[in-house]
Amino acid sequence: MRFDTTVLSPAELDLRAAVREFLAAELPEDRIPALGMAAEHDPAFSRKLAAAGWVGMAIPPEYGGRGRSAVDRFIVTEELLSAGAPIGAHFVADRQTAPTLLSFGTEEQRKYFLPRISAGECWFSLGMSEPDAGSDLASVRTSAKRVDGGWSINGTKVWTSGAHLNHYFAVLCRTSPANGDRHAGLSQLIVDLGSPGVKVSPIPYLNGTHSFNEVLLDDVFVPDDMVLGEVGSGWAQVTSELAYERSGPDRFLSTFNLLRYFIAEHGAEYVDDAAARVVGTLSAHFWTIRQLSLAVARALDEGRAPAVEAALVKDLGTRFEQRVIELMRTVAETEVGPGEGSIFQRLLAEAILTGPTFTLRGGTTEVLRSIAARGLTR
Amino acid sequence: MSDDRSFVAEAATSILQDHSTPETVRRVEHRGWNEELWSVLAESGFTTISVPETAGGSGGDIADACVVIKAVGQFAAAVPVVETALLAGWALAAAGLELPIGPATTGVGQSADTTELRKTAQGWRLSGRLHRVPWAHQAERLVLIVPVDGVDHVVSVRAPELEILPGRNLAGETRDTVVFDDVPAEAVAPAPPGVSVEALRLRGALGRAVATAGALARVADLTVQYTAAREQFGRPLARFQAVQRHIVRIAERTQAAGMAADTAALNADPDPDFFDVAAAKIIAGESGSTAAAAAHQAHGAIGMTKEYELGQLTRRLWTWRDEFGSESYWSRLLGQQVVMDGASELWPRLSTGRVPHGSTRSQA
Ligand SMILES: Cc1cc2nc3c(=O)[nH]c(=O)nc-3n(C[C@H](O)[C@H](O)[C@H](O)COP(=O)(O)OP(=O)(O)OC[C@H]3O[C@@H](n4cnc5c(N)ncnc54)[C@H](O)[C@@H]3O)c2cc1C
Repeated sequence: MRFDTTVLSPAELDLRAAVREFLAAELPEDRIPALGMAAEHDPAFSRKLAAAGWVGMAIPPEYGGRGRSAVDRFIVTEELLSAGAPIGAHFVADRQTAPTLLSFGTEEQRKYFLPRISAGECWFSLGMSEPDAGSDLASVRTSAKRVDGGWSINGTKVWTSGAHLNHYFAVLCRTSPANGDRHAGLSQLIVDLGSPGVKVSPIPYLNGTHSFNEVLLDDVFVPDDMVLGEVGSGWAQVTSELAYERSGPDRFLSTFNLLRYFIAEHGAEYVDDAAARVVGTLSAHFWTIRQLSLAVARALDEGRAPAVEAALVKDLGTRFEQRVIELMRTVAETEVGPGEGSIFQRLLAEAILTGPTFTLRGGTTEVLRSIAARGLTR
Repeated sequence: MSDDRSFVAEAATSILQDHSTPETVRRVEHRGWNEELWSVLAESGFTTISVPETAGGSGGDIADACVVIKAVGQFAAAVPVVETALLAGWALAAAGLELPIGPATTGVGQSADTTELRKTAQGWRLSGRLHRVPWAHQAERLVLIVPVDGVDHVVSVRAPELEILPGRNLAGETRDTVVFDDVPAEAVAPAPPGVSVEALRLRGALGRAVATAGALARVADLTVQYTAAREQFGRPLARFQAVQRHIVRIAERTQAAGMAADTAALNADPDPDFFDVAAAKIIAGESGSTAAAAAHQAHGAIGMTKEYELGQLTRRLWTWRDEFGSESYWSRLLGQQVVMDGASELWPRLSTGRVPHGSTRSQA
């Protein structure tokens, strides 16, 4: 295991300054910031960000991207998240789908999807979870049968975030029977969410919003050219996809704006010793975890494969995001209701209602810990 | 790490490996320090590392000193490197006073401390009482920063001539009460700007944070090794998910404390930064608590014996949390500072991690 301290280069600092300037100009002062990646879908914002060169940063120029480093991407992402920017439309496609397409997609798929993702115009959801397949993802039951020119897919996906807004989702499904090896016979198919036979219904989210969905797939036709990667290699693909995308700024900044607005709304004269201690403690953690997360990005750029490090950072970061909520609560001493009161109070209400998600999405704490433990005790 | 610094790390580690084995640590505990180790470290110049050569030190910067201190923590070594190099040596050198041969220490600014410095016909005289002075018993010199007519002075006193009421910390390291009643000060000079009780405390806190990171690294290794070797119910403890949880928790805390301490040390150029050190001390303290609890849980009863190495480390984690300011102390100061700087400065400061050598502090 290895975490090195990192100095940002002058070029990296320039990039950061440019993003800060862009955000200061684009985001109205009085808006309610988002809590991390669960941000508003704002196609206009995504397009502007893309025009500035900050979507598709990991995608090579030949596919319409910017060919930037993981650290550059880290810098842009942390600025967006700390500002609570409305990144909901493009974030998943940019973070998760694009790298998968790059690693496993066909040349035609890359040529088709990557420029659109880079432009902030093509949005993806993730079709992994099912009613009976959560952490144990290999037990998915959604299955695809060979038909003329492609596949016919049937099954039910759940918790599909943004399926009601996005264009596509990458569906993990069974394309041949397990026959003893449950990791064999799984494939990823790209399904157009507008295809006949796709039925998207909202699953009411705890905060009362429409965020995730149930997606029924009823004999949905998927042409051969929409198979992502090799037929039968779905398992290897999804696991590699998860490994390194785990520890980015979206895993520790979700509740950053709670702290920011606590300070903004409780001027120095109202902050007593107990509150100061909380602010100090949280600042110390943000500062430290950010550097651990940045170290993973730097390691990726140096060609290392920091899978255990990434799992550790995600576990630390997401549990910290939850601790921020509890500590803010103890010092704010306020009653909150959704959409009521000051920005801080609204953020606190939202954070309490959605906080449990942080340690569930993208691999639960428990599952991450077993990945990390395997790496540590090897 | 620079080549010089890796050399320092390797050399210090190899000395500590030989002279601060778990057996040695156990054997010297009743004496309160490891004298033999101290002489070897002193011969190699590690006890005055970061004190300029022109002032009689062995040169290098704070980050160099911190790699030695980290190794001291890792090997649970009872030696006053932080006090001699980072604190007393620094203050003496800054004030243009002579460095002693042998260990030196400082008062750490306990709230109950009293000191009074007077100029008399026979020279400077000092009276007062200092609490929990690290290694006073072993020190050749006690270095204090005392105001005279509102101006801070650096004062050097011959420690062996003072009345010392022995005390220990949880790890058995000496933390004494020192009483002086109109004793002669050996040397006195006005404190240059930046040399203050607060600065000593900041440096001391950095030293303890770094040592804590070192001790944590060893706790992490020890726990992985032990849980792999020990079997219950027919398999190694490390195979049980509940035990893995402890291992992962220790690893997380170790890496967090290491990252925070390393950054604070590398950025301390030429002096430690308040935000960095406060953050590092908070993270180190919390990490020490969490990791010590998890490590003891994973070890079971063996960890509770004085024979076994774990306790040498966890007792240091526990005791160092509170020295030079606890998490509670530093988080209060840090929080007050952050609130004073205001909401718009928050993110720029949090996103300033390690800064390039010799650059200004804020990258914002
Ligand atoms: C807001 C939100 C958005 C989401 N969006 C998406 C999405 O867009 N697409 C998508 O595919 N999925 C999405 N998910 C689903 C998410 O990936 C799953 O919640 C997650 O993988 C856990 O699966 P599960 O909920 O079925 O819990 P389960 O797997 O049933 O787990 C329940 C509990 O048991 C524990 N557990 C399970 N197995 C083990 C084990 N082997 N060892 C120890 N403990 C274990 C878990 O850690 C957890 O604590 C979303 C979830 C949330 C909350």
